[in-house]
Amino acid sequence: MRSKITAPLVAALILLAGSAFTFIAAQNWNIADGYSVGFTSDDASGIFKGLKGTVAFDEQNPGASKFDVTVDVASINTGNGLQNKHARSDEWFDAAKYPVIHFSSRQVVKAGNAYEVTGDLDIHGVKKQVVIPFNFQKAAAGGVFTGKFTVNRNDYNLGKPGGDVGEVIKIDLSVPVSK
Amino acid sequence: MLKKSLALGIVAGILAGIASLIYSKVYHSSNGADFSKVARTTGILAGSLFGTLLAGLGYYAIIRALKGKGEIVFNLLFAILSFASIVGPIGFKLPLDMEAPELFPGLTIPMHFFPLVAWHTLKPLFFKKTAKA
Repeated sequence: MRSKITAPLVAALILLAGSAFTFIAAQNWNIADGYSVGFTSDDASGIFKGLKGTVAFDEQNPGASKFDVTVDVASINTGNGLQNKHARSDEWFDAAKYPVIHFSSRQVVKAGNAYEVTGDLDIHGVKKQVVIPFNFQKAAAGGVFTGKFTVNRNDYNLGKPGGDVGEVIKIDLSVPVSK
Repeated sequence: MLKKSLALGIVAGILAGIASLIYSKVYHSSNGADFSKVARTTGILAGSLFGTLLAGLGYYAIIRALKGKGEIVFNLLFAILSFASIVGPIGFKLPLDMEAPELFPGLTIPMHFFPLVAWHTLKPLFFKKTAKA
């Protein structure tokens, strides 16, 4: 009698645990080489390297996704040595004091044919909430995340207001990932 | 005199180009910085030749125009223009896939002075005395 009750109960618990797991967990992706974290504005453009962190994303269940990534500030490359030095200085990114730019997602939602991630972007010691629209192109052994958004450098106390460098910085992301 | 000036320009340009290519090899092996996609062999040779041919024409024109003071004016002008030309490599924007752009001026700035050095090194072979037109 006891085993008659226990067996279905255990089976139900296993099923429940299994379904809960599928509901919560999202696929973990490894950031592959060939990524690009680029920025453009009036008078300045460049890229960052040293992208690393956690990328958990599930197309079927974006709500369970999580992004927690950093880029290395000192890796900034504008193509010009003087500009690089200037960008790393305390007038701009202050790479010695704030060595990384950090993004941590709070929510990922489907938006039409694409997705939107809302999260905290921490630059130069200032944390601001941003919304980044992005696409995910799935390939055989991985996929590619692409996204574009803008930030106002004054929000992060980067450089002095005005000047030659535009205040609105366009960010272009292209991140290939593998399983 | 124009022929001699241009001949000096050509020979000095070739010498400056060879010196630049040797310097480029030494710089690459000592720093590991490879800018060969931007500072190509043909570009280096053509740039050196262009500089010294321009100097040849300038030398002829200045000596003719200023006679006795032409030599000092030409030397000053050549040195000033060579120095001013370093603004180019300092402000140059390299492709973003090239690492360590900080090292680019170290490669190219000396090359901007090689035509001047080559010109003055070879000039006694072409003009035995200071030209007075």
